[in-house]
Amino acid sequence: MKTSRILATATIAAVSVALTGCGSKGEAGGDAGASSGTLTIGASISLTGKTAREGVLTQEGYQLCQEKVNAKGGVKVGDKMLKLDIKYQDDTSKPDTAASLVDQFNDQGIKLILGSYGSANTEAQAAVIERNNQVMVDSSGADNNIFAKGYKRTFGVLSPATEYAASIVKAVAELASPKPTSVVVLSADDGFSKRAADGAAKAAKDLGFTVLETQYFPNGATDVSASLNKVKASNPDVIIGSVHLAEGVAIIKQAKELGVVPKVFGETVAPPTPDFVTTLGKDAEGVLGSSQWTKSAAGSDDYFGTAKQYDADIQAKFKHEAGYHNAEASAACLAFVLAIQKAGSTDANKVRDALAALDAPSFFAQLKFDAVGMNSTKPMSVIQIQGGKQVTVWPKASAEAALIWPGTTK
Amino acid sequence: MTGFLQATVYGLLQGGLLALVAVGFSLVWGVMNVVNLSHGAFVVLGAYVGWQLNTSLGLDPFLGMVIVALVLFCIGYAVQRFLINLVVNGPIFITLLLTFGLELLLVQGMNIVFTANYQSIPTSYAGNAIVLGGIQVPLGRLLAFLLAVGITVLLVKVMANTRIGMSIMATGMDRGAARLMGIRARHVYALTFGIATALAGMAGTMVGTVGTFNPAAAGGFTLLSFVIAVLGGLGNMYGAMVGGLLMGLVQAWGGYYLSGTWVNALAFLVLVIVLMFRPSGLVGKAFYAARVEV
Repeated sequence: MKTSRILATATIAAVSVALTGCGSKGEAGGDAGASSGTLTIGASISLTGKTAREGVLTQEGYQLCQEKVNAKGGVKVGDKMLKLDIKYQDDTSKPDTAASLVDQFNDQGIKLILGSYGSANTEAQAAVIERNNQVMVDSSGADNNIFAKGYKRTFGVLSPATEYAASIVKAVAELASPKPTSVVVLSADDGFSKRAADGAAKAAKDLGFTVLETQYFPNGATDVSASLNKVKASNPDVIIGSVHLAEGVAIIKQAKELGVVPKVFGETVAPPTPDFVTTLGKDAEGVLGSSQWTKSAAGSDDYFGTAKQYDADIQAKFKHEAGYHNAEASAACLAFVLAIQKAGSTDANKVRDALAALDAPSFFAQLKFDAVGMNSTKPMSVIQIQGGKQVTVWPKASAEAALIWPGTTK
Repeated sequence: MTGFLQATVYGLLQGGLLALVAVGFSLVWGVMNVVNLSHGAFVVLGAYVGWQLNTSLGLDPFLGMVIVALVLFCIGYAVQRFLINLVVNGPIFITLLLTFGLELLLVQGMNIVFTANYQSIPTSYAGNAIVLGGIQVPLGRLLAFLLAVGITVLLVKVMANTRIGMSIMATGMDRGAARLMGIRARHVYALTFGIATALAGMAGTMVGTVGTFNPAAAGGFTLLSFVIAVLGGLGNMYGAMVGGLLMGLVQAWGGYYLSGTWVNALAFLVLVIVLMFRPSGLVGKAFYAARVEV
């Protein structure tokens, strides 16, 4: 017994020492892997935890990018072609873990980082990136707050949070006939959702809607009945959910249970996620969603071709339709590749400068960052679930079908 | 007024569902003095089994939950008999560690087998509602509530009137004395754990029918069960029901009258207040609460 206890203690001590060794700070240079013919980029990904679903979609986007880039021989750095190798670590959907993983990548000499899923994780990572002189391309952190802190080394390929729900309001104002008059926003209480909710309320006010008081519930809530119950008496024409998938599904399910029937539901992140239709079935019909990207997006590039080709590639590789979570991740990876090629170096400072100056077309959108690192000129799209499929209805220029109005049935 | 009544009805129905989630947790804690941190994972596992039965065999979740209960009972019995039983005499930290590890294993296993995709068990009726005097009573939640009440009453009857129930209660009160009376504690413990996981599985199927689930939901169910068990109190089979209903009502009223972001803070505030005046929980017995050995 005594021997086994000593053995166990010794094993724990040995493992601890080994782990401490792994975690020690190094002063590695910024071009990890370059000498071995590979270009290593670090990615902390939410593979488990509350945003695991979105995290997996993000990883798929990164994986397709790696495949496409390597199929073309890799990343051209000066006169060398380096194979792209993205290293993944699971951040369990937790911001503090995502931030410490960025630190770990730095310890391994990996200075180029692809963002985790979501604004909270990305915001935590951005601070570490700045401190370590790393560079990050953010694929899914849309909260304007990330870019309001004066950081110089984080670049987001996506439209800012304030545009998410506002785009749905704009679409309804432009397309719905007869035009609805009242709007209420139901929002999760995380930074991203609140920012999106504020954007929607402001847009609605500017467009002449009667805007009811925004109702908040905890981020990740699966019971939003109290908020629905509160707005039921006012009978709003449009209910906008500034939410993630779990809360978005709960709004539709519980509104049905409580008999809350507006003319349309619109939600930010949930409807473009494939699980939205599979979990809600026919109750998903008519719901509007804002999307960073749709299959009808204009633009193309040498690696992914057009948006339609991108969708076909995702379908072939992952057996589901391409969602914007996939596309924004691939676009972030593409931005890195183009910037590294333009810089002709994997040095973090040079890549940072190249990203700041990047202005390139892609299947996703024009990749161009403003002074704070946001891709602020990129437009959002609005989709509607029609016949179980996501169909682009706004902006009119890229619409695949007309808006079905009203989007609900009594 | 309609809004208040609607919030109350919904809160009560939600409370019944929460009670069903927590009743097994409370049972295991009360009888075995094990705070089972893997309880939430069994709830989600039950939801997945119910979902699988529905998608593969087209079985209605209310029928399927009988099979779910059987499957989860077997798993729970085996887990207790061959795993948790190894440390059941150890300090509470050891059982906490073991069940926490089990939770990680189960959640990760479900992530691998079922992926992290959100799922829901579709029915044609669960989302519909009966309208009574302007109040919507959702059918799925009503059925879940009735089931929760039924199961709690049945559990009370089984515990009070059957030989196996009395063996469970006796082992919970004094394992040594129970052994001297010829009760096989190991079997009773495994049986208790099996019943708890079966109930967790049934609750999971209900949750999957009226809402959505994925493996990441497990931790939330464990936390909720913990709060409800403490709120209701240990050693009384009605404890989880009382705790669950109070939790449901507090959340519904809190969300209706205050900001919805306050609901969790409010639920814990109620827990603190209850514990200040009734340290053994609302209907719990002091003997069970005082047994925690560190």
